[in-house]
Amino acid sequence: MIQIANARKQFGSVTAVDGVSFVAQDGAITGLLGPNGAGKTTTLRMLYAVMKPDSGEVRVDGVDAVATPQAAQARLGVLPDGFGLYPRLTAREHLDYFGALQGIESDQLAKRTEELIDLLDMRAIADRRTGGFSHGERTKVALARALVHDPQNVLLDEPTNGLDVMSTRAVRSIVRRLRDQGRCVLFSSHVMQEVSALCDSIVVIAAGRVVAQGTPDELRHQTGYQNLEDAFVALAGLDQGAHE
Amino acid sequence: MRTARQTLIVCRKELRDSLRDRRALWSILFSVVIGPVLIGFMMNKLADRQRDADAVRVPIVGMHRAPALVNWLNQQAGVHVVEGPAEAEKAVREQREAVVVIVPDDFAERFRSSRPAPLQLVADSSRNDVRPSVQRVQILLQQYAAEISSLRLIMRGVSPAAMRPLAIEEIEVSTAQQRAAQILTFIPMFIMVAGFVGGMQIATDSTAGERERGSLEPLLVNPAPRMAFVAGKWMAATLAAVVSVCLTTVLCAQLTRLLRLEDMGIRLEIGPQHVGPILLAVAPMCLFTAALQAAVATLARSFKEAQTYMGVLILGPMLPGVLSSLYPIGNATWTYAVPMLGPYVLLTDVLGGRVPDTTAFLTSAGTCLLASAILIQITTGLFKSENIIFGR
Repeated sequence: MIQIANARKQFGSVTAVDGVSFVAQDGAITGLLGPNGAGKTTTLRMLYAVMKPDSGEVRVDGVDAVATPQAAQARLGVLPDGFGLYPRLTAREHLDYFGALQGIESDQLAKRTEELIDLLDMRAIADRRTGGFSHGERTKVALARALVHDPQNVLLDEPTNGLDVMSTRAVRSIVRRLRDQGRCVLFSSHVMQEVSALCDSIVVIAAGRVVAQGTPDELRHQTGYQNLEDAFVALAGLDQGAHE
Repeated sequence: MRTARQTLIVCRKELRDSLRDRRALWSILFSVVIGPVLIGFMMNKLADRQRDADAVRVPIVGMHRAPALVNWLNQQAGVHVVEGPAEAEKAVREQREAVVVIVPDDFAERFRSSRPAPLQLVADSSRNDVRPSVQRVQILLQQYAAEISSLRLIMRGVSPAAMRPLAIEEIEVSTAQQRAAQILTFIPMFIMVAGFVGGMQIATDSTAGERERGSLEPLLVNPAPRMAFVAGKWMAATLAAVVSVCLTTVLCAQLTRLLRLEDMGIRLEIGPQHVGPILLAVAPMCLFTAALQAAVATLARSFKEAQTYMGVLILGPMLPGVLSSLYPIGNATWTYAVPMLGPYVLLTDVLGGRVPDTTAFLTSAGTCLLASAILIQITTGLFKSENIIFGR
């Protein structure tokens, strides 16, 4: 379970995140939805403890991520914005490296690596260097790497961005499977269809603030739009610019 | 304990990663090898010339007219008399011979009657490479003349000493030797540069490069103290630096053996017994340069910028070597306490056959370690800064 309460983050004179609060439950997929520049990535970075909020609270399974970032990080699997792979290492070596840093014993790590290679259908590319990988293949490696230590909470920053249909489907099925295993999955997107197809709960974020949250049905109800995309546009305040 | 393990994991990964960077490996190898090879080439040239002068071939036209001279010449060490070519001047002009001695027809007759007997020395004074040989032949002929005149004086009851109002003793400071010794002073510099260049690639690629690739953020999501990441990268860079120091040292050792420097009157041997002291002198410097490189590269905005800074930093290990050829650096105690200077002075001591005392080694290693520790602290601080992690 991931909790964030009244988190604020400022870069110079720009307030990127302005008092964000929400909870992502175990056994549920929570979507962090917002237009580009809304503060999604900054929010996630505070959740996975590479950024400290200026004020506010972040907890992962009850562990304070601000005071004890490493303890929180041990409970998180993260697919950051831009995958950041090492082009000279193979897919398997990526899992080895991160698994070892997470403190997994080598025999257990080998077993886990095999599982993930099967789960993500990457047997054919497992021992190739990632330098020449396609976007979809790189997504798989980065996702496998995020899951190598079997984390209870999974954070995905725009995981399906730029993927083709088949890869998108593969990622979605993995996300559902993680939910069905009782994990807490939080993923960000700026694509309404993506979120509506997948999420049990949606947090709409705009200009650094949470403007609405709830199930897809609740959001439709709240805004009075049957179409979720219209609801999103209304909630994010995107329609106001068009009228002026 | 856990932090130490994570440090080793990071170190292992960086070493593996950099070993696969073929282009960087070649450029390191090139810069490690180029120094010793250059020295070898220059020394070999010098040694060749020296040997040429020592062993001289004297072609003589008209040998039968001066059998005594030929005999005497053949008895001198390293002199080899051969029959001269028919067209002596042409042979010298076409550089087939360095020098040719011509014994004219009237030599024997004038010699017997104690009149100056003519000898012709055909040489091309515009050729630098044969000058030692020509000089050698000139000196040989003068020596022969002096011996004959002494004999003639004795026969006439005059002491040869009367003919020598001055006793000039030549103290030979051969220019070839000087030049060779000067070239050899660059060996410590090459070893130090090898240490610097060896660690450079990992130190920049694993910091500035890691951020540029976007792999720094996922790396830092792993639950490890920032110190573990920095220390791991630093360790990998240091190890690479030490390996390249060993490589250069072995190369230089092979070189000094191949060149047979003792032939040139130079006492410099790098044997297995020197490897330990050399490493003791340079390894602490590798710790320091790797830490410095990592700190500077972390501060750089991009990989390219980091490389530019490295180009400036490399002056550090070069400066003592360059300065010492202009301005002799003694081995005063304070010199050991300066990070780049200490290892240089230690190296020149070790290579010069003096084994510095333990205090000198400890002083140098201590300062390098202290400076490294401070730099690692700084880099760890940078790794905690969001401005650095996310590239401003």
